[in-house]
Amino acid sequence: MDEKDLIRKAKKGDTLALSQLLQQNYSFLVKYLMKVTLHPQIAEDLTQETMMKSIEKIQLYNGESKFSSWLITIATNLFIDQQRRKKREKKWLEQEQALRKMKWNAANMNEEWIDVLDVLAQIKEEIRMPIVLKHYYGYSYEEIGKMMGIAEGTVKSRVSNSLKSVRKELAEREGK
Amino acid sequence: MKENDFKNSNSMLDDEDELTVKQVKDGLEKLDQWNPVSTPNLQWFHQTVELEKKRIRKKQWKELLAFISVAVFLLTIVIAVVYRQPILFLYFQLVGIILLPLALKKNRKKVRNE
Repeated sequence: MDEKDLIRKAKKGDTLALSQLLQQNYSFLVKYLMKVTLHPQIAEDLTQETMMKSIEKIQLYNGESKFSSWLITIATNLFIDQQRRKKREKKWLEQEQALRKMKWNAANMNEEWIDVLDVLAQIKEEIRMPIVLKHYYGYSYEEIGKMMGIAEGTVKSRVSNSLKSVRKELAEREGK
Repeated sequence: MKENDFKNSNSMLDDEDELTVKQVKDGLEKLDQWNPVSTPNLQWFHQTVELEKKRIRKKQWKELLAFISVAVFLLTIVIAVVYRQPILFLYFQLVGIILLPLALKKNRKKVRNE
Protein backbone atom coordinates (compact mmCIF):
# COMPACT_ATOMS: atom_id res chain seq x y z
CA MET A 1 0.00 0.00 0.00
CA ASP A 2 1.47 3.40 -0.94
CA GLU A 3 1.75 6.45 1.29
CA LYS A 4 -1.30 8.22 -0.14
CA ASP A 5 -3.56 5.24 0.59
CA LEU A 6 -2.20 4.99 4.11
CA ILE A 7 -2.76 8.72 4.68
CA ARG A 8 -6.33 8.50 3.35
CA LYS A 9 -7.09 5.56 5.64
CA ALA A 10 -5.34 7.14 8.63
CA LYS A 11 -7.41 10.31 8.23
CA LYS A 12 -10.55 8.18 8.29
CA GLY A 13 -9.48 6.80 11.66
CA ASP A 14 -7.68 3.60 10.63
CA THR A 15 -5.27 2.93 13.50
CA LEU A 16 -3.23 0.34 11.58
CA ALA A 17 -2.65 2.70 8.64
CA LEU A 18 -1.49 5.47 10.95
CA SER A 19 0.77 3.02 12.81
CA GLN A 20 2.35 1.95 9.51
CA LEU A 21 2.91 5.56 8.46
CA LEU A 22 4.58 6.34 11.76
CA GLN A 23 6.73 3.22 11.62
CA GLN A 24 7.87 4.02 8.07
CA ASN A 25 8.91 7.53 9.05
CA TYR A 26 10.24 6.83 12.56
CA SER A 27 13.92 6.48 11.70
CA PHE A 28 13.82 9.54 9.39
CA LEU A 29 12.28 11.61 12.19
CA VAL A 30 14.75 10.50 14.88
CA LYS A 31 17.69 11.16 12.56
CA TYR A 32 16.38 14.62 11.67
CA LEU A 33 15.89 15.51 15.32
CA MET A 34 19.33 14.17 16.17
CA LYS A 35 20.84 16.53 13.61
CA VAL A 36 19.01 19.65 14.70
CA THR A 37 19.18 19.03 18.45
CA LEU A 38 22.63 17.41 18.51
CA HIS A 39 21.29 15.74 21.65
CA PRO A 40 20.22 12.06 21.44
CA GLN A 41 17.97 12.18 24.53
CA ILE A 42 16.13 15.33 23.46
CA ALA A 43 15.82 13.87 19.95
CA GLU A 44 14.20 10.73 21.34
CA ASP A 45 11.79 12.66 23.60
CA LEU A 46 10.81 14.99 20.79
CA THR A 47 10.19 12.03 18.49
CA GLN A 48 7.65 10.69 20.98
CA GLU A 49 6.03 14.12 21.33
CA THR A 50 5.90 14.55 17.55
CA MET A 51 4.21 11.19 17.12
CA MET A 52 1.59 12.03 19.77
CA LYS A 53 0.94 15.40 18.14
CA SER A 54 0.61 13.81 14.69
CA ILE A 55 -1.93 11.29 16.02
CA GLU A 56 -3.95 14.19 17.43
CA LYS A 57 -3.66 16.39 14.33
CA ILE A 58 -3.84 13.82 11.51
CA GLN A 59 -7.25 15.23 10.46
CA LEU A 60 -5.59 18.60 9.80
CA TYR A 61 -2.91 17.17 7.48
CA ASN A 62 -3.80 18.32 3.98
CA GLY A 63 -1.53 15.91 2.10
CA GLU A 64 0.14 18.67 0.03
CA SER A 65 3.59 17.87 1.39
CA LYS A 66 5.09 14.45 2.03
CA PHE A 67 4.14 12.85 5.34
CA SER A 68 7.79 13.02 6.43
CA SER A 69 7.86 16.78 5.74
CA TRP A 70 4.69 17.23 7.81
CA LEU A 71 6.31 15.33 10.69
CA ILE A 72 9.43 17.48 10.38
CA THR A 73 7.27 20.62 10.56
CA ILE A 74 5.65 19.40 13.79
CA ALA A 75 9.00 18.34 15.25
CA THR A 76 10.65 21.65 14.32
CA ASN A 77 7.95 23.69 16.02
CA LEU A 78 7.97 21.50 19.12
CA PHE A 79 11.75 21.92 19.37
CA ILE A 80 11.56 25.70 18.92
CA ASP A 81 8.86 25.96 21.63
CA GLN A 82 10.82 23.72 23.99
CA GLN A 83 14.04 25.71 23.55
CA ARG A 84 12.24 29.03 24.12
CA ARG A 85 11.03 27.78 27.49
CA LYS A 86 14.51 26.73 28.59
CA LYS A 87 17.04 29.07 30.16
CA ARG A 88 20.25 29.75 28.27
CA GLU A 89 22.53 28.26 30.97
CA LYS A 90 20.49 25.07 31.11
CA LYS A 91 20.56 24.74 27.32
CA TRP A 92 24.33 25.23 27.27
CA LEU A 93 24.87 22.65 30.02
CA GLU A 94 22.63 20.09 28.32
CA GLN A 95 24.38 20.61 25.00
CA GLU A 96 27.82 20.23 26.58
CA GLN A 97 26.82 16.99 28.30
CA ALA A 98 25.35 15.59 25.08
CA LEU A 99 28.44 16.48 23.08
CA ARG A 100 30.68 14.87 25.68
CA LYS A 101 28.60 11.69 25.50
CA MET A 102 28.63 11.64 21.70
CA LYS A 103 32.41 12.20 21.66
CA TRP A 104 32.77 9.28 24.03
CA ASN A 105 30.56 7.13 21.76
CA ALA A 106 32.65 8.10 18.73
CA ALA A 107 35.86 7.29 20.57
CA ASN A 108 34.43 3.90 21.55
CA MET A 109 33.86 3.19 17.87
CA ASN A 110 37.48 4.20 17.15
CA GLU A 111 36.23 7.16 15.15
CA GLU A 112 37.72 10.63 15.16
CA TRP A 113 35.41 13.44 16.32
CA ILE A 114 34.48 16.02 13.68
CA ASP A 115 34.99 19.68 14.60
CA VAL A 116 32.08 20.86 12.49
CA LEU A 117 29.69 19.24 14.98
CA ASP A 118 31.13 21.39 17.78
CA VAL A 119 30.69 24.44 15.59
CA LEU A 120 27.10 23.49 14.74
CA ALA A 121 26.36 22.96 18.44
CA GLN A 122 27.49 26.51 19.18
CA ILE A 123 25.04 28.00 16.69
CA LYS A 124 21.54 28.91 17.88
CA GLU A 125 18.99 26.25 16.98
CA GLU A 126 16.89 28.71 14.91
CA ILE A 127 19.93 29.08 12.68
CA ARG A 128 21.14 25.49 12.79
CA MET A 129 17.79 24.14 11.61
CA PRO A 130 17.69 26.01 8.27
CA ILE A 131 21.23 24.84 7.43
CA VAL A 132 20.32 21.21 8.09
CA LEU A 133 17.02 21.47 6.21
CA LYS A 134 18.59 23.28 3.24
CA HIS A 135 21.94 21.65 2.81
CA TYR A 136 21.39 18.17 4.22
CA TYR A 137 17.76 17.48 3.30
CA GLY A 138 17.60 19.75 0.23
CA TYR A 139 14.37 21.56 1.08
CA SER A 140 13.73 24.87 -0.68
CA TYR A 141 13.87 28.19 1.17
CA GLU A 142 10.10 28.49 0.75
CA GLU A 143 9.48 25.05 2.27
CA ILE A 144 11.78 25.80 5.20
CA GLY A 145 10.04 29.13 5.75
CA LYS A 146 6.68 27.36 5.92
CA MET A 147 8.05 24.70 8.26
CA MET A 148 9.52 27.22 10.67
CA GLY A 149 6.84 29.87 10.28
CA ILE A 150 9.28 32.53 9.06
CA ALA A 151 9.72 34.50 5.83
CA GLU A 152 11.64 33.00 2.90
CA GLY A 153 14.07 35.93 2.96
CA THR A 154 14.80 35.33 6.64
CA VAL A 155 15.64 31.70 5.87
CA LYS A 156 17.98 32.76 3.05
CA SER A 157 19.86 35.23 5.22
CA ARG A 158 20.06 32.81 8.14
CA VAL A 159 21.50 30.06 5.94
CA SER A 160 23.96 32.36 4.23
CA ASN A 161 25.16 34.06 7.43
CA SER A 162 25.44 30.84 9.35
CA LEU A 163 27.46 29.19 6.57
CA LYS A 164 29.86 32.11 6.73
CA SER A 165 30.18 31.85 10.49
CA VAL A 166 30.67 28.05 10.35
CA ARG A 167 33.39 28.53 7.75
CA LYS A 168 35.09 31.23 9.82
CA GLU A 169 34.95 29.17 13.00
CA LEU A 170 36.31 26.08 11.21
CA ALA A 171 39.15 28.13 9.73
CA GLU A 172 40.00 29.46 13.20
CA ARG A 173 40.04 25.95 14.64
CA GLU A 174 42.24 24.68 11.82
CA GLY A 175 44.59 27.63 12.37
CA LYS A 176 45.04 26.78 16.06
CA MET B 1 15.63 12.55 1.89
CA LYS B 2 15.67 14.74 -1.17
CA GLU B 3 19.10 13.83 -2.41
CA ASN B 4 18.40 15.00 -5.95
CA ASP B 5 17.88 18.50 -4.69
CA PHE B 6 21.36 18.70 -3.21
CA LYS B 7 22.89 19.75 -6.51
CA ASN B 8 20.21 22.40 -7.03
CA SER B 9 20.54 23.70 -3.50
CA ASN B 10 24.28 23.97 -3.91
CA SER B 11 24.27 25.47 -7.39
CA MET B 12 24.20 29.03 -6.04
CA LEU B 13 27.14 28.49 -3.71
CA ASP B 14 30.72 29.57 -4.27
CA ASP B 15 33.60 27.11 -3.86
CA GLU B 16 34.27 28.04 -0.24
CA ASP B 17 30.61 27.66 0.69
CA GLU B 18 30.45 24.33 -1.10
CA LEU B 19 33.39 23.08 0.93
CA THR B 20 31.69 24.21 4.16
CA VAL B 21 28.44 22.52 3.09
CA LYS B 22 30.36 19.32 2.39
CA GLN B 23 31.97 19.45 5.82
CA VAL B 24 28.57 20.02 7.46
CA LYS B 25 27.03 17.13 5.52
CA ASP B 26 29.91 14.79 6.34
CA GLY B 27 29.66 15.69 10.02
CA LEU B 28 25.91 15.07 10.09
CA GLU B 29 26.31 11.75 8.30
CA LYS B 30 28.85 10.68 10.90
CA LEU B 31 26.29 11.56 13.56
CA ASP B 32 23.92 9.02 11.98
CA GLN B 33 26.65 6.39 12.04
CA TRP B 34 27.45 7.00 15.70
CA ASN B 35 23.80 6.96 16.79
CA PRO B 36 22.09 4.09 15.00
CA VAL B 37 18.29 4.13 15.22
CA SER B 38 16.32 0.96 15.87
CA THR B 39 12.70 1.20 14.75
CA PRO B 40 10.19 -0.55 17.05
CA ASN B 41 7.88 -3.18 15.56
CA LEU B 42 4.44 -2.40 14.12
CA GLN B 43 2.68 -3.76 17.20
CA TRP B 44 4.35 -1.12 19.37
CA PHE B 45 3.19 1.66 17.03
CA HIS B 46 -0.32 0.20 16.94
CA GLN B 47 -0.48 0.11 20.72
CA THR B 48 0.88 3.67 21.01
CA VAL B 49 -1.64 5.03 18.51
CA GLU B 50 -4.55 3.26 20.23
CA LEU B 51 -3.54 4.54 23.67
CA GLU B 52 -3.09 8.08 22.39
CA LYS B 53 -6.46 8.02 20.61
CA LYS B 54 -8.09 6.82 23.85
CA ARG B 55 -6.39 9.64 25.80
CA ILE B 56 -7.54 12.23 23.24
CA ARG B 57 -11.14 10.95 23.38
CA LYS B 58 -11.10 11.12 27.18
CA LYS B 59 -9.71 14.66 27.09
CA GLN B 60 -12.36 15.77 24.59
CA TRP B 61 -15.15 14.35 26.75
CA LYS B 62 -13.74 16.13 29.80
CA GLU B 63 -13.59 19.44 27.93
CA LEU B 64 -17.13 18.99 26.63
CA LEU B 65 -18.43 18.25 30.13
CA ALA B 66 -16.59 21.27 31.55
CA PHE B 67 -18.06 23.47 28.81
CA ILE B 68 -21.61 22.18 29.42
CA SER B 69 -21.23 22.62 33.19
CA VAL B 70 -20.08 26.23 32.86
CA ALA B 71 -22.85 26.96 30.33
CA VAL B 72 -25.54 25.46 32.61
CA PHE B 73 -24.14 27.35 35.60
CA LEU B 74 -24.19 30.71 33.78
CA LEU B 75 -27.65 30.06 32.36
CA THR B 76 -28.94 29.22 35.85
CA ILE B 77 -27.57 32.51 37.20
CA VAL B 78 -29.13 34.50 34.34
CA ILE B 79 -32.51 32.79 34.77
CA ALA B 80 -32.39 33.32 38.55
CA VAL B 81 -31.56 37.01 38.13
CA VAL B 82 -34.28 37.52 35.51
CA TYR B 83 -36.93 35.90 37.70
CA ARG B 84 -35.96 37.40 41.05
CA GLN B 85 -34.66 40.86 40.13
CA PRO B 86 -35.33 41.69 36.48
CA ILE B 87 -34.09 45.26 37.02
CA LEU B 88 -30.60 43.94 37.84
CA PHE B 89 -30.59 42.01 34.54
CA LEU B 90 -31.48 45.23 32.71
CA TYR B 91 -28.60 47.05 34.41
CA PHE B 92 -26.19 44.34 33.21
CA GLN B 93 -27.52 44.70 29.68
CA LEU B 94 -27.05 48.49 29.80
CA VAL B 95 -23.49 48.17 31.10
CA GLY B 96 -22.82 45.71 28.28
CA ILE B 97 -24.22 48.08 25.65
CA ILE B 98 -22.02 50.90 26.97
CA LEU B 99 -18.86 48.79 27.25
CA LEU B 100 -19.16 47.03 23.89
CA PRO B 101 -18.48 50.10 21.67
CA LEU B 102 -15.57 51.05 23.93
CA ALA B 103 -14.03 47.60 23.55
CA LEU B 104 -14.51 47.71 19.77
CA LYS B 105 -12.98 51.21 19.57
CA LYS B 106 -9.92 49.98 21.46
CA ASN B 107 -9.47 47.13 18.97
CA ARG B 108 -9.73 49.49 16.02
CA LYS B 109 -7.05 51.74 17.52
CA LYS B 110 -4.72 48.77 17.82
CA VAL B 111 -5.08 47.99 14.12
CA ARG B 112 -4.38 51.63 13.20
CA ASN B 113 -1.17 51.53 15.24
CA GLU B 114 0.12 48.55 13.23
